[in-house]
Parts: sequence; C-alpha cells; structure tokens
Amino acid sequence: MTAILLNESKGYQRSSLVLTGVFAMLAAVFLAVFPAMKDEADAIEAAYPDYMLELMGLEELSTIEGFAGGYVYPFVWILFAGMYFGYAGAGTVADDVRTRKMDLTLSYPVSRESVIVQKVAALWVPMAALNVGMLAVMAGGARLVGESFDPVALAMVHLLGVPYLLVCAGIGVVLSVGTDRPGRARTGALGLVFLLWLLDGLAALEPDYEWIAELTPSHYYDPTAILLHEEYAFLDAAVSLGAFLVLLVVATTVFVRRDI
Amino acid sequence: MPAIQTTDLTKRYGDVAANDGVTFSVESGEVFGYLGPNGAGKTTTIRMLLGLIRPTSGTAEVLGADVHDRRALTAVKSEIGYLPDTLGFDDHLTGRQVLDYFARMRGDERRGELLELFTPPLDQPVGTYSAGNRRMLGIVQAFMHDPAFVIMDEPTSGLDPLKQDRLRLFLESERDAGKTIFFSSHVLSEVQQVCDRVGIIRDGELVALEDIDELLARSGKEVRVQLAEPVDEEDFLTDDMIDVELFDDAVHFTYTGDAQSLLEHLVRFETSDVDIGNPQLETIFKHYYTGESGDEPRGRDPANEPRRGEPADEPRGGDSANASREGRFRGERP
Repeated sequence: MTAILLNESKGYQRSSLVLTGVFAMLAAVFLAVFPAMKDEADAIEAAYPDYMLELMGLEELSTIEGFAGGYVYPFVWILFAGMYFGYAGAGTVADDVRTRKMDLTLSYPVSRESVIVQKVAALWVPMAALNVGMLAVMAGGARLVGESFDPVALAMVHLLGVPYLLVCAGIGVVLSVGTDRPGRARTGALGLVFLLWLLDGLAALEPDYEWIAELTPSHYYDPTAILLHEEYAFLDAAVSLGAFLVLLVVATTVFVRRDI
Repeated sequence: MPAIQTTDLTKRYGDVAANDGVTFSVESGEVFGYLGPNGAGKTTTIRMLLGLIRPTSGTAEVLGADVHDRRALTAVKSEIGYLPDTLGFDDHLTGRQVLDYFARMRGDERRGELLELFTPPLDQPVGTYSAGNRRMLGIVQAFMHDPAFVIMDEPTSGLDPLKQDRLRLFLESERDAGKTIFFSSHVLSEVQQVCDRVGIIRDGELVALEDIDELLARSGKEVRVQLAEPVDEEDFLTDDMIDVELFDDAVHFTYTGDAQSLLEHLVRFETSDVDIGNPQLETIFKHYYTGESGDEPRGRDPANEPRRGEPADEPRGGDSANASREGRFRGERP
C-alpha cells in the first residue's frame, strides 16, 4: 500500500522546487562572495578570536573547501536545511489530525505504522531535490569563480548529510505526534533544531561540556572535515541514522497509542 | 454476525462522559439511525468504532473485529465506508485527484455510477467546493468501493433538498441490496425516512433503542389547530393532549392518543386549518426518560448521576421495550 506515499510525495513537489531555488540562490550568494573573501581570509582568521573560529568550524578559509565547509554548509545546510526538515517533519501528523484528514485516512485499511512511515518516506522528495540542487550549484558555482571541488568529497558532504537531515525530520515527527497543534509542533521543531545547532557549537568550546555536544545531531556531521580532509565519518553517519530510526520508533509508538 | 456490537462502551474526558455505557447492536442488512442532539456523543461512538479513539472502558466489535485489536480492525476496513461529519480532504487536489487517491487505497468499482447521482465538480480544487459539493464527494468516497457496511455521520449536512432526496433514495436502494448502514444524525425527520431502527443518545447515554415506527407512535403527533372561533378550553382539551399552548383562536399540542380519536374529536369544532405532523427531536427528548420521581427530564443534573450503573440500568439500550415498560415516557398512558 503506497497510496499515501505517492500522494504525500506529490504534495512536496512544489514546495521542494521553491525551496531548492531559495537554497540555490543562498549558496550562489555565498559563492559569489568567495573571490573577495579569499584575499581577506588571513585577515578574517586573524580578526576572529580562536573560539569563534572553532565555534563556526572555520579553517583554511582561503580554499574553496574551507570556505564551503566553514561558511556555506554550516549555515545553508546544517542550520537552514536542518530547520526545514524539522519543520516538514512536524507537519506530517499534526496537520492531518487538525484538519481531520487523518480520520478519513484511518478509515481505510491502513495501519497507523504504515501511515507514519509513508508520510516520513515522502520526505525523499525535498531530500532529493535539495541535495541535487545544492550539489549542482556548489559544483557549478565553484567553476564560475574559478575553483573546483573534489567531486567525491562534495558528493560525500551531501551523502553523509542525509542522516543528519533525517534526524532533524525525526525530531519534527516526534513533536508532530505529541501535539494536536501543528503550529506548536512546527515552531517547536524549528526552535529545537536551532537550539541543538547552537548547543553543539558552544559546548564544543568547553571540554567539560563536550558530552552535551555529543547529544546534538550536528556533532555527527562535519562538512569541513569531509571537504578539507576527506574524512568520511561513516560511523557518525550510522549513529545519526540510528538516532533517526529511534525517533521514528518513538513517534510511531506514541502515534499508535494516542487518540486522534 | 452483527455489523456492530457495542458493550458498555464508555469514553471519558476527565469528568465528562462523552459516551457512558453505550450498548447496542446493528444487524447486517439494517439501516440503523443514531439519533441525538449536537454534542450528545454520536461522533465519539463512531470514532471509537473506527479505532480513532480508544474506549475508556467497554468494547465494541465492528464486522467481528474488536476495536482493541488494531490489526483486525484495520483488516475489516476494506469492507467499511465512512462519511465523516467534517471532511478532511487535501484542499489543493481536484475532486478527481481526491477520488483517485482513495481509489488506490480501497478500489472504486462504483465510482462512475455514484458520480451520476452525486455530482461534485471533479476538475476543481476541493478547496473551492461548497459544503454540498464537499459532502457529495464524501458520499462518493464512502460508497465507491462497494462496501458491505457504511458509517455516515450527519450525511445530509450541506446538501440541498434535491440531493437529500437523492441520498434517501440511494440509501433505500442500498438497503434493498443488503447493505448495512449506520446513519448518525440530529434530524429526526431524515432518520425516520431511511432507518428501520433507531438508537437515541443524549448526554453520552443511550436512552432508547427501538423501531422507528414504534418511536414515532409513542412520541405522539404535533398538532396545530386553527379555530374559526374561540372555544371553551374545558371542552376542547383532552387527557391525550400534552404540552398544550392555547391562543385566542389556535391550539398547539402534542397528541399521544390514536389518530382516529383525534380526528373524531376535532370534527366537533369549527376549524379553519389543521396541521398534524411528527414531533421534532427536541420535543421527543423533552418527553423521553423523565425522572422517576417527577417530570424533570434526565440531563446533566448531578442528582440523576447515582442511577448510572445501578442494576436497574443494566439493560440500558439493550432492550427496546425497556422505556415503555417502565412507563418513563411522560406522554404514555398506563
């Protein structure tokens, strides 16, 4: 039974297209700044205190890899895309319950587990659109400013970013089944993903609070390490994937027990 | 096997009992009316039957599947159609796309035939639909997979009188074809047109369960008489008239005796107009299940609460003759 997956996937088409355009423009603006920034990279690195460089993951800003890993991906991908997937996840169940669409759906021979899995699976549309769009803009944009990425490393930034974005979506889905108010679920998801991103940066500065950083999703995804050092942290990605599955199980467990 | 069998079905939200020990059954091939004013708990019962909400206590079986057994309940839903009171469609989809979507989930062998009777504008987005068009799309959705059993919650709401008639005729033909229909409504007249049997729910409790004809016979007739000239009150009124309202040259009352004696009585007076009709649901409620010690209707009055769950209440809703035998219907003569 894939009717819900098909229907939901179609529902994401337009928003994914728009969002991909927005993200592409954002990335293009960043890239356009790079040639000017490259010349000033040393000055910038000198101007920021060390903790700021560490907080933002800035390293070798004069290279396109360091710039993309330190500026473009942390903001455009880890923060904005993460928040989007949290937001989208938060809409999966709460919206349908609120509009009573869920009543009709569940009057059909489909289990609640299947409903939630199909609705989450439909996030493949924005996931694919954003990744392909962003990858194309980064690869093409770099060429336009006379630079180039190692294609494998660039592909890995996106591939290993998928589990991270899924965790963000999972956070949203858990909030979505926990409340009847879509607005609250969405705001909660946006706020939580942002807060976790901030916590990761701040906690990493202080060795005593390193354990807090380990509880944040972005801790397991490091674009700078991938682009600059070609360190592909598959284990970290597996941890993220595991966390996503745990969140999905939690959400499903809550959803099958609750009143609609 | 009954299509529905509920046993002491109860749903509480804090101190409020949305359904309180509701027990009834709906046989296969029956058109069952579930009647009650808005907020009485009709939709709560339906949502428990569909497994959308869990009973606080008690249970129910739908087509043999216990509502606590999620897997079994999901399986029988291929044989069920559901027309909810609030139709949550994807508003950006056209009517056709909505039906395509539901067809993929459960089939649509009767879609064409239904769309000849009920005609929502299929190429327009559902978000632009009028209430009537939305309802028609809902009706097609509920019946297009040719289910054996259909649950309808306020099915005529938003439909114009023509389409309401069409729905009534359609339901009659479905009943003749052996379908089971659970018809929930707050409008007595539409229930009496299509239903064989009726359960009346009020403040979460099932207060009556009986044949619609018996209910109407015992509910009396609402009579409005316009007199040519004022009459003597003593002379005009009889013991069979209750809820009497006297005006200068008009009398409104509920008549609890038989039709023949009413007509014989009325011809003795010079009347300019007589209107005899079935009472409104609210009128029936006013007379239904008055308190045992007096004429106060049973309601949310806490003084009535202790009666709940007492042995005398055990067969509540399970015995159609219960109400009449106990003589709690105010208009009934001993």
